[in-house]
Amino acid sequence: MKISKLISKAFILSALFLASCSDDDSPQQPKGDYENGVLIIGEGSGAGTGSVSFISNDLTTTENLIYKKVNATELGLYLQSITFDNDRAFIVVDNANTITVVDRYTFEDDATITTGLETPRYMAIVGNKGYVTNWGSTSDETDDFIAIVDLNTFSVDNTISVGNGPERIVAKDGKLYVSHKGGFTNNNVISVIDIASENVQEVTVKDKPDELLFNSSGNLVVLSEGRTLYDANWNVTGNTLGSISTINTSSLTVSTELNFADGEHPSLMVLDNATLYYELGGKVYSIAEDASALSSTPIVESQGYLYGMEVENDKIYLLDASFTDLSELNIYDLITKNKIDTKSVALGASKIYFN
Amino acid sequence: MRKILTVSIFCIVCFKGIAQNDSLLNRLEEVVIQADKKLKKYSVGYKVTTLNDSVIVRNTESFTSLLRFNSPLYLREYGAGGTSSASFRGTSSSNTAVIWNGININSINNGQTGFNSLTVSLFDAIDIRSGGGSLEYGSGAVGGTIHLNDYLQFTNTKQIKNQLVASLGSFETYRGLYKFKFSNSKLAINAGVSYNQSENDYKFLNTDFKNTNGAYENFGFNVSAAYLLTNFSKLKFYSANYLGERFFSGELPNPLAANDKYQDFSHRNLLIYTHEKSRLSHEAKLAFLTQEYRYFEDKTSSTFNFGKSKRYLVNYDISYSFPKLKAIVTSHSEYESVFGKTDQISERNRRQFSQSIIYNQNINSSVSFNTKLRKDFNSDYDVPFTYALGVKVKPFRNLFFRANGSKNYRVPTYNDLFWPGQGNLDLIPETAVQGEFGIGYKNNQFLIDIGIFYINAKDKIVWTPGGDPDRPGIWVPINLSEVNNKGLEVSLTFNKTFNEHAIKLNMNYSYIIATDKATDNQLIFVPKHLFNSNLVYTHKRFSFFYQQLLNGKVYTTESNSNDFVIPHYFVANTGLEYKLINLQQKQLTIGLKVNNVFNKYYEVQPRRPMPNRNLKFNINYKF
Repeated sequence: MKISKLISKAFILSALFLASCSDDDSPQQPKGDYENGVLIIGEGSGAGTGSVSFISNDLTTTENLIYKKVNATELGLYLQSITFDNDRAFIVVDNANTITVVDRYTFEDDATITTGLETPRYMAIVGNKGYVTNWGSTSDETDDFIAIVDLNTFSVDNTISVGNGPERIVAKDGKLYVSHKGGFTNNNVISVIDIASENVQEVTVKDKPDELLFNSSGNLVVLSEGRTLYDANWNVTGNTLGSISTINTSSLTVSTELNFADGEHPSLMVLDNATLYYELGGKVYSIAEDASALSSTPIVESQGYLYGMEVENDKIYLLDASFTDLSELNIYDLITKNKIDTKSVALGASKIYFN
Repeated sequence: MRKILTVSIFCIVCFKGIAQNDSLLNRLEEVVIQADKKLKKYSVGYKVTTLNDSVIVRNTESFTSLLRFNSPLYLREYGAGGTSSASFRGTSSSNTAVIWNGININSINNGQTGFNSLTVSLFDAIDIRSGGGSLEYGSGAVGGTIHLNDYLQFTNTKQIKNQLVASLGSFETYRGLYKFKFSNSKLAINAGVSYNQSENDYKFLNTDFKNTNGAYENFGFNVSAAYLLTNFSKLKFYSANYLGERFFSGELPNPLAANDKYQDFSHRNLLIYTHEKSRLSHEAKLAFLTQEYRYFEDKTSSTFNFGKSKRYLVNYDISYSFPKLKAIVTSHSEYESVFGKTDQISERNRRQFSQSIIYNQNINSSVSFNTKLRKDFNSDYDVPFTYALGVKVKPFRNLFFRANGSKNYRVPTYNDLFWPGQGNLDLIPETAVQGEFGIGYKNNQFLIDIGIFYINAKDKIVWTPGGDPDRPGIWVPINLSEVNNKGLEVSLTFNKTFNEHAIKLNMNYSYIIATDKATDNQLIFVPKHLFNSNLVYTHKRFSFFYQQLLNGKVYTTESNSNDFVIPHYFVANTGLEYKLINLQQKQLTIGLKVNNVFNKYYEVQPRRPMPNRNLKFNINYKF
């Protein structure tokens, strides 16, 4: 989430800068209907396709199913993530094994990658290459891989074999960092891949690592959910710990680990203004990125099923996901803690991107 | 006047009352031996439609397409040949019970029957009864029942009949079917084998894709026999066996992603002893049924998920008739023990005893009725007391009124109860109270039946991610909703012969308003309008037929968002048949059928286009 946001911010700024440099006097041409707003993606379900909703920055306009409206086709199931480059959005749909490439501001279809992917999850972009995590076959824990996509030809040129269940992927300084949540089962490592040599190293963290982001010092912060353990009859027998771990990107060791109490399974973590926000039991907590302890006081209690979260400009965006109908986006002012607005958005809404 | 008064009273009270068994097609009831006597005897006031052998042979594509074009049911199919379910009158697919020779064969694991995981071309007839049938057929028979029947027949002289049906179709589809019937005055034997195979790789219209990974292959083997032990007693045996393998095709935008495979195995065996002497008749049934599926998420892998069940059933009926009253009273006792397991659920055993009492009476030639009561004792939970009433009144020669009312139920399935981490042991059976009133007109050429129905279903078992407030996002089943279904069903048949021309027309139309009481919105996957019709024109040795379906729009979200719908669709098939040999003892018919003759793009499930125009060449040889 975070990296794509940074990229998007960088490109918006650079685009503005370039636009203002080249022609100071004439007003800036809009790049498309979906510029200057928030994109919400929904995974979809048996009740309807995975889809993208758009909300204008001033919150006056909400438009659902924008891809379908522009292109008259559906994205399919289950829409997992979007990664952006300068002017394109790469929409990853895991069950369909596709990445649909669209203009990020008009949402006009450019290409769909239909081969070389097997349950793709997230993508990171370095240069003109996309690196896509793939779970591989459901019945094989050893065939998981990173697909390397040529972003000019849209073909999968090469793969890098990795451990079970690669999830998020972020890039920094010639390296890819991959959280192995475990796909159809469980895992507890972060892969660090040298892009040039394709050499893979692993760092062990707590069970089910998911969100990855870089803090202000350039180190990697990981949210591990921890596992619930069952016996053969599916009775709960125990838990493993959830944690927010920080990995020193130079030494590739875990430098700090903030563990949750036994039985607590956090999810969703974002970073904004050196503050970490995370979800626990439907409530949102925040701590400083260098905090030495977790918080015990929630800042916002969400409504319904908190399935996606973002923070920007002192506003927190929380998704109350429905898989049988449209979901709700609730926007809160982080200073007053008041709810600013509620919008009806994509079915199975899971992620928020600022476009 | 008294009759009319009776009718009105029944109508006013609660639509319970009046009616008759109105098979749309005539049967040779005198000589045919059926395993299931209940259907014929106790359907007073219900609408029963029979699809006979010639309709079945004309629609061998799948059980799904047979029903889609010839019955008032709504079929949901995940691409042609894929997972398929059927529903009556806006009820859910687990509220449709499939009855094989009198025995409910819905899966213990999910409470449904897959309409592409059994072949029905070996059965002699399929009866479709709209309306509640829990009383006779137990759990799940809420919306209606579909009956797969074998007919055995004793004959005064020894007779041997053979039938061979073979077809060759588009997408490398091959079908073969052979039926054998032997009979004399003491013994009747039916045997049949069927084999179907298809690559099923039809093109997705308006795309570059095909229905990849859609191939299927299945084999069926049925045997039944009846033996006259004495003048009063008979022994009957029925066996149906099915082995099938299907690949599950993918959906747009990338059908190439599909990689799963499904296998079904079922074996059903039934032994019946009947003794009928003067006023008293007894019947004892013994059944053993097994069912298994294997689901391979990755077809190249040898690992799979499975579900298995074994069922033992013992049944004893005794009935006593009162000739002066033209009445029969019957007691049904049934004990059933079911063992079910899946790869996720260790083996469970459910036992159920049920007792029902049925009273049938023809008051005079124009009024008949039956009343039925049933109580179940189940090892897992309380099953509600159920009742049903049906009445038929024929005040004038061709006019009839029919009515029925019943309380029905569906017990939670093994998946609902025991699914690891998600099953809910606190579930109670869902129940539905319903009523129907119909009016019809019948003469030699023409039959019309117009019925209105009302169903109130409570404690519907719904899987929802908000089911357990302590665990948001986890899908759990709960007794959630109350729904009301009301609507209209019209069916019409018309037969006319003049000189050497014959016309036969069948039509079904239903209008359904099914709403969730909490939202007042139309239920998802319930079309308001459903219309199909079949026309057959025969001249000498030629026959021409045309069938069509108009399936209304369905909503897929509870809020009835217009962004998430499956649009209405229209599809038509047509065909020509010619009798090369047309003798008393020997008939050879060749036929050509064009499915989707207008080459229309349509979807039954989102992003799954159905087949484009395709051909089937057919040979039907009876000797």
